[in-house]
Amino acid sequence: MLPVQLIVALVAGIAIIVLLFLGAHHLGGHTVGRVVLLVGLLALPLLLSVGNISFGMHESSTTHFCLSCHEMQRHGKSLFVDNRQALAAVHYQNRFVDRETVCYSCHKDYALFGDVKAKMNGLRHVWAHYIAGVPETIKLYQPYPNSNCLHCHDDSRRFVEGVAHRPLLDAMYAGTTSCLSCHAIVHDMAKVDAEQFWQAR
Amino acid sequence: MADSTEKLTRKIRRAAVVGGLGLVVQLAAALHWTPITFILSAAVGAPLVLAGGVLFLAAVWRNMRDKGAV
Repeated sequence: MLPVQLIVALVAGIAIIVLLFLGAHHLGGHTVGRVVLLVGLLALPLLLSVGNISFGMHESSTTHFCLSCHEMQRHGKSLFVDNRQALAAVHYQNRFVDRETVCYSCHKDYALFGDVKAKMNGLRHVWAHYIAGVPETIKLYQPYPNSNCLHCHDDSRRFVEGVAHRPLLDAMYAGTTSCLSCHAIVHDMAKVDAEQFWQAR
Repeated sequence: MADSTEKLTRKIRRAAVVGGLGLVVQLAAALHWTPITFILSAAVGAPLVLAGGVLFLAAVWRNMRDKGAV
């Protein structure tokens, strides 16, 4: 359920429309009444819709939204595995990314239309979930781009001065060497299946 | 004159029903929030609201045109 404020606003909007429906005969006859109708039937409902969709877009970027589909729940559990090499777990457990939006932080592109592309991919996921069926193996639509890693790590001292990184920096920036060629374990499903999880104290 | 007002009232009420339906769809989606209801809310609810607004504007415009006000 969305926040109570939004629900109340939508209910109020519907109540106003009902009142305007009943008073349409009186209001439609003069200019002030038409302005009231314009606000109640056009401006207010549009404002409510924009708010509702805007909140929905924000909400659709959250971790619990992604994990609300059962096929993603193993990926969700992989955030908690006890493996200091598994990228998803390391980023989540060390709070390298906001835990509320952990899936979105790593899986959206940071280019101009990154958000739009992520939402379009979300539509494909919904299509697969409800209509086409979920593939047996869940995999990315395209190879994971270094730019997503570099969005945060780019000029961080630990990354730039890392002994293993230094000889590969140019290749990583050019995208010819994938970050994942060394950091190969992303979601450690073996440990998910073995139920080896890290517990915060 | 009375006929014209009745006609306008009927059209405004139709616009209110369409717009109200749009808000009801959005309210139902907000109460049962899942990926599919969010898509329904955005793809059905919001366009209905917009359609209600357009119907209202068209009704008022035609009424004013018939009266020679525009």
